[in-house]
Amino acid sequence: MLDIQDLIGGYGNVRILNGATLSVKRGQIAALLGGNGTGKSTLLKASSGLIKSWSGSITFDGERIDGLRPDIIVRKGLVQVTQGKDAFPGMTVEENLRLGAFTIRNAPLIADALERVYGYFPVLKDKRRQPAGTLSGGQLQMVCIGRGLMSSPKMIMLDEPSAALAPQVVLDIFRTIYRITRDGMTVLLVEQNVRMALLLAEYGYVIKDGIIHIQGKAQDLIYDDNVRLSYLGGTMANREATLNPPQAPSDR
Amino acid sequence: MDYFISLVVIGFSIGMVYALVALGVSLIYSGLDIVHFAHGEIYMLGAFIGLTIFDRLGFSYLASLLVAALVVGCIGALIERLFYRPLTRRGGGISVSGMGIIIAGFGMSIVLQNVAFLIWGPKALPFRVSFGAPLEFGELTLPMSYVWIVCTALALMLLINFVLKRTMIGLAIRAVAHNKDIAYLSGINVPLMMSLIFAAACALGAIAGVLIGPINYVVVLMGSAILMKAFAAAVVGGFGSLPGAIVGGVTVGIIESLGAGYISGTFKDVYAFVVLIIVLMVRPSGLFGVQARMKA
Repeated sequence: MLDIQDLIGGYGNVRILNGATLSVKRGQIAALLGGNGTGKSTLLKASSGLIKSWSGSITFDGERIDGLRPDIIVRKGLVQVTQGKDAFPGMTVEENLRLGAFTIRNAPLIADALERVYGYFPVLKDKRRQPAGTLSGGQLQMVCIGRGLMSSPKMIMLDEPSAALAPQVVLDIFRTIYRITRDGMTVLLVEQNVRMALLLAEYGYVIKDGIIHIQGKAQDLIYDDNVRLSYLGGTMANREATLNPPQAPSDR
Repeated sequence: MDYFISLVVIGFSIGMVYALVALGVSLIYSGLDIVHFAHGEIYMLGAFIGLTIFDRLGFSYLASLLVAALVVGCIGALIERLFYRPLTRRGGGISVSGMGIIIAGFGMSIVLQNVAFLIWGPKALPFRVSFGAPLEFGELTLPMSYVWIVCTALALMLLINFVLKRTMIGLAIRAVAHNKDIAYLSGINVPLMMSLIFAAACALGAIAGVLIGPINYVVVLMGSAILMKAFAAAVVGGFGSLPGAIVGGVTVGIIESLGAGYISGTFKDVYAFVVLIIVLMVRPSGLFGVQARMKA
């Protein structure tokens, strides 16, 4: 569904992405993991069109989307869900959600989407007339996920949905993300919370220095020492080692 | 007492004109992060274009008002696209507040003044409209031109409030004002919205110009004085706040009128700035400015 090939890009003259390659299959949850400053947000912004990549390609649903404007990419069905802090505080919950359906002109479709979102997050229905600024962190995250779902996209990219939330709340959110995927959504989950993300995802990528460092099935990565290592300070040298493992252990 | 009330009523009417210009300045500031120093010239252009349509084409006053708003709105959108947008782009973001854009605003104001000078000449032109007999409330008489100002301005403010609160476009404008990236990710065509905001702000300025025409003369240099008063109004109300711009405009208008009536008319333009200085000393964020400003 989403294919990123040798993506190079950055801000101004600062190069952040050094040829990242990843792909997400239809109906799959893929996790993109990495610490601060590894390039995961940059990759996300390049995919959603907020920044232009320098070279490489991004293909979504069989179409090149790199270089397109963000609102066009949303129309094509690829939506970046922002962090909870990026809800519009002065607007009510429902206004926030309706904003997500800005590309849709058909009122019944919007009503359907709204009901679907309230189905995933019943709490938001109770608070739909409240300004988003009065909600808790978890509820704000729900608003942002809901806003992303309002245009009925084919795929969503979640930007650290667990950021600054209590573990119990994170569990709730991740459960709902799982339900959303089960209903046919394709998800790219960008996370720092490695364990939670890998428990939810089917496939994982670890990004470091703007390049995919390790990748594999999520259940394999959970036990992979290199994943942990790359957070503690892995190097390009052990990237080579992970891409060409001497002998894969077979006792799992 | 009647003298006092008539001063307040007249100040209120003129304040409404300040409020319209201040609304435009605030809209541009919150939507595009530009402090627009050429907005006084937009107002001046509006007055001239309205006058030309009224005199030469024989349109009614209301039609001149609307056509001037439309024409100046388009001119504004063009100015923003051709001159301001490349500058803000060069700043790195979709929009950026910086010295460059402020100087560009001053430059634009000089350019527009000279363009108007070339077209309409240096003379102050009268805007003769026959509105009919003034309204009378007991002892008080109010010329119809003031009634026009108050009614038009109130109608526009209600319209703006309705659009911002009740329509999808308004929601999108609030989103763009709050955070352009997030607005973009919601599927809003941000550059188009920014042009729309700028055009709407210019249309408001043009309407203010056409409204003031029948009271004052229409002259090339009319823009600079109103800009300073609109800034005073915007700052008194809290820069970037739309209700603040209205309250600030009315406050400045009334105080100016009272000062002119009771103290001295010669210093009419001074009172607004005295208020400005006092507000800045006592409450620097303005009457409606909140600490963590929520633009959306």
